[in-house]
Amino acid sequence: MEKKIAVYICTGCGIGDALDIDALSKVAKSEFKVPICKTDGQLCGPEGVALIKQDIESEGVNTVVIAGCSARVNFDVFKFGPDNIVERINLREQVIWCHTADDEDTQMLAEDYMRMGLVKQKNMYVPEPYQVESFSRNILVVGGGLTGLTAAVESAKAGYSTILVEKDAELGGYVGKMYKQVPMKPPYTDLEENCIPNLVKAAEDAGVKIYKSATVENTAGAPGMFDVTIKQGDSTVQERVGAIVLATGAKPYEADKLGHLGFGKFPNVITQSMFEEMATAGKLEASKVAFIQCAGSRDQEHLPYCSAACCIESIKQALYVKEKNAEANVYVYYKDIRSNGQYEHFYMKAQQEGVVFVKGDVTEITEEDGKLTIEADDKTMGTTSLADEFDYVVLANGMVPTAALGDLVEEEPAADEAAAASDEPKASTPPVIKANLLNLAYRQGPELPALKYGFPDSHYICFPYETRRTGIYAAGVVRAPMDMLSAVEDGAGAAMKAVQCVEATEMGQAVHPRSGDMSFPEFNMNRCTQCKRCTEECPFGAINEDEKGNPLPNPSRCRRCGTCMGACPERIISFKNYSVPMVGNMVKTIEMPEEDEEKPRILIFACENDAIPALDMAGINRLQYNAWVRIIPLRCLGSLNLVWINDAMGGGFDGVLLMGCKHGDDYQCHFMKGSELAEIRLSKISETLDRLGLESERVRATTVNIMDYDKIPAMLDEFAADLEELGPNPMKDFA
Amino acid sequence: MEQKNVFSEPVKYDLTFAREIFRLENGSYIKQCMNCGMCAISCATRDVMDYSPRQLFNLIKLGKKEEVLTSNTFWSCTSCCTCKARCPRGIPIIDVMHDLKKYAIDHGYTNYPQAAFYKAFWNEMSVRGRMFEGGMTARYFLIRGLDEILKAMDMKDVGIDMLKHGRMPLLPPKKIRGLGGLKKIISKAQELDRKEAR
Repeated sequence: MEKKIAVYICTGCGIGDALDIDALSKVAKSEFKVPICKTDGQLCGPEGVALIKQDIESEGVNTVVIAGCSARVNFDVFKFGPDNIVERINLREQVIWCHTADDEDTQMLAEDYMRMGLVKQKNMYVPEPYQVESFSRNILVVGGGLTGLTAAVESAKAGYSTILVEKDAELGGYVGKMYKQVPMKPPYTDLEENCIPNLVKAAEDAGVKIYKSATVENTAGAPGMFDVTIKQGDSTVQERVGAIVLATGAKPYEADKLGHLGFGKFPNVITQSMFEEMATAGKLEASKVAFIQCAGSRDQEHLPYCSAACCIESIKQALYVKEKNAEANVYVYYKDIRSNGQYEHFYMKAQQEGVVFVKGDVTEITEEDGKLTIEADDKTMGTTSLADEFDYVVLANGMVPTAALGDLVEEEPAADEAAAASDEPKASTPPVIKANLLNLAYRQGPELPALKYGFPDSHYICFPYETRRTGIYAAGVVRAPMDMLSAVEDGAGAAMKAVQCVEATEMGQAVHPRSGDMSFPEFNMNRCTQCKRCTEECPFGAINEDEKGNPLPNPSRCRRCGTCMGACPERIISFKNYSVPMVGNMVKTIEMPEEDEEKPRILIFACENDAIPALDMAGINRLQYNAWVRIIPLRCLGSLNLVWINDAMGGGFDGVLLMGCKHGDDYQCHFMKGSELAEIRLSKISETLDRLGLESERVRATTVNIMDYDKIPAMLDEFAADLEELGPNPMKDFA
Repeated sequence: MEQKNVFSEPVKYDLTFAREIFRLENGSYIKQCMNCGMCAISCATRDVMDYSPRQLFNLIKLGKKEEVLTSNTFWSCTSCCTCKARCPRGIPIIDVMHDLKKYAIDHGYTNYPQAAFYKAFWNEMSVRGRMFEGGMTARYFLIRGLDEILKAMDMKDVGIDMLKHGRMPLLPPKKIRGLGGLKKIISKAQELDRKEAR
């Protein structure tokens, strides 16, 4: 397809007043020989859009370059169908709003952005959506507890045929065995009948295909084409599904490890689930009961985290005792009562019923004639307190996600050459635990990566259900400790995510966060050296490999971050509209003033997810910053290829700054470890720079949060001042 | 803040006393306390109290009847309302304190001068329906014992100032109109109170 380019310069929002528009059009017309270059006073208005549409129809324009506002606004206005390429040049937020009007430097900046945009579109092609063969719209839910049943009912109701796999003979999971349940609706004060029988009925009515006493033996494939082997008894069944909800729940923490609280020593020291069994069986006869909270949870020697549900479960069980015998004495020993949200009302209800809450750590439990005595450090009174004659002591023993139960996958012993390279810094990869839940046939291990405390969570702020394996959504207590109300919400949320995934995959689009993106990485396999960098660094396990080490991409697993493209030393991975040459040419097209002009140039590679919005915010707030900078947005810093730094330094740039997201335990990177990988790659290049006589301080990485926009001017000024001290790039004159 | 009156012996939980207190007019609010300590940090007289309000509530739950009723906590409450306004659980703490004062007086725990003051104030008010400072002072010292008068001489400057400014008339004021009606209201309220307490 031949490109027919048209450039449209918007003069609205003050762009026309601050810049020399004629000079700008000259760049497009004379330098780049663009046949159509028009200006308009308000391009986003109906007339402006009509102007572009008319050119597309009558002139056959198929590549539209719009110089005006940021690509983050008006994206729905400048949408001209899937066959046309639209490139936006940001003259508003990143030029006139943050630089002096009618200034030589500002004009140079705008002209450079024009050049960059025009060069960029030269290397852009219309992506052809990837079509999955024998695509399936089915949704598989693994785990038939409260969360799993909710997810199954929700996705079935949304019109997707749903398959549910439950390992036990009966549906319901932990909640199914409860005598009664915590309140799920206003006023959040009264015990409710168990909801599981109704949910099971709803699932059956909605036509959910249920496999009981079954496990997932193998999961192969990718979104839209997962091939799942379900083992039921001695027989196995094959199912093809489009997306998976993992709702395998949690197990109570092993009470045998709680000997210090008398478990195993005294028969009447029991766990929450044992107490629940007693209540269900109608054998609850007690006139004095104590509940001990955080038995194992929030304890560095046991579970370091809060299990989130035990406080309200204990309150519920305390109310069982009161329900049976209003005169019974019930005590709850706690560190902090964590009855989140509406459950505060439930806590208050228990207090009104006369349950006594004691803030203190239990120090000793003793028994005499079958009656238990508790000694505790009473935090309110600052003294030791004693309570005796307990019939039962119930331990709130917390929960462990099923994903954390199993052996760690051992790393393969390093081969010789790999061992030699092991000194190199490497991005941290989370361990995989063989928990026997999904048994993925992925190169990266059989289960979801286990993050903190073994929970297969993902980006906790931006997209809680998304795991690091595209198309698989974790929900309920397997994802994070939570109460029943949150678990129901989680189940429904994950089901909706699975639906989104199926829909997006069918259209060949990416899922969150690059939803709608139709490009995917293409490999020029002729030049592949089987170095395995792409398969190892892909944060989503999208690339498998054959025995020889050749990458086997799974485009529907891909989130289009470009981490593989940045990793490839041979630069053979590219997207239709994002590639190494594309950015490289953008770097090279920037005009480099001679050294004696004293106009240094700073190149910024900014992450599209946080740094670009922050830079736009700086513009919106009219914060002025250095006009020597030239900003190139990257899908993720993980897609940073070192050749671009070579290009920049060889081309005479005085400095290069990488703006990415925070990494580490509380990472903000939308693609998990992109900014971390970029920094690691950078550390490898500094030596080379030093050898070339270039100070490695010229290339720096920094982390920018979207709310850090006010710090950007200072950040850039500081970098510019440091560069001034270093003097101009000695390569300038060779460029 | 330094903790006062910490027990050397382990304390033992017993709910008998608590149940009696919970039956007071505002007593059941005590159950709602979640030990956040907002009352303690808000209290203007916390420094002179034996126990902070939340500790007192906890003592009630512990069944420490003697400690509760002989403590000065509720007597030191000035009814400034800060704790009540700030309590996240909505406990009307000053009303609970009033209930405790009444409970203490009814059960003969009147060692604190405040107890005598309340009694004197109440008796004086019920005679005329309005306050006569001289009468109340006399009643107070009659309850506290005449030894207290010597101590009271330390306060003579205050008394003289009050006299000078007409804040302490020498002659009792007139009774209010409809005193009989007021007395009826009061006795009806007391009767209701007794009924509710069973």
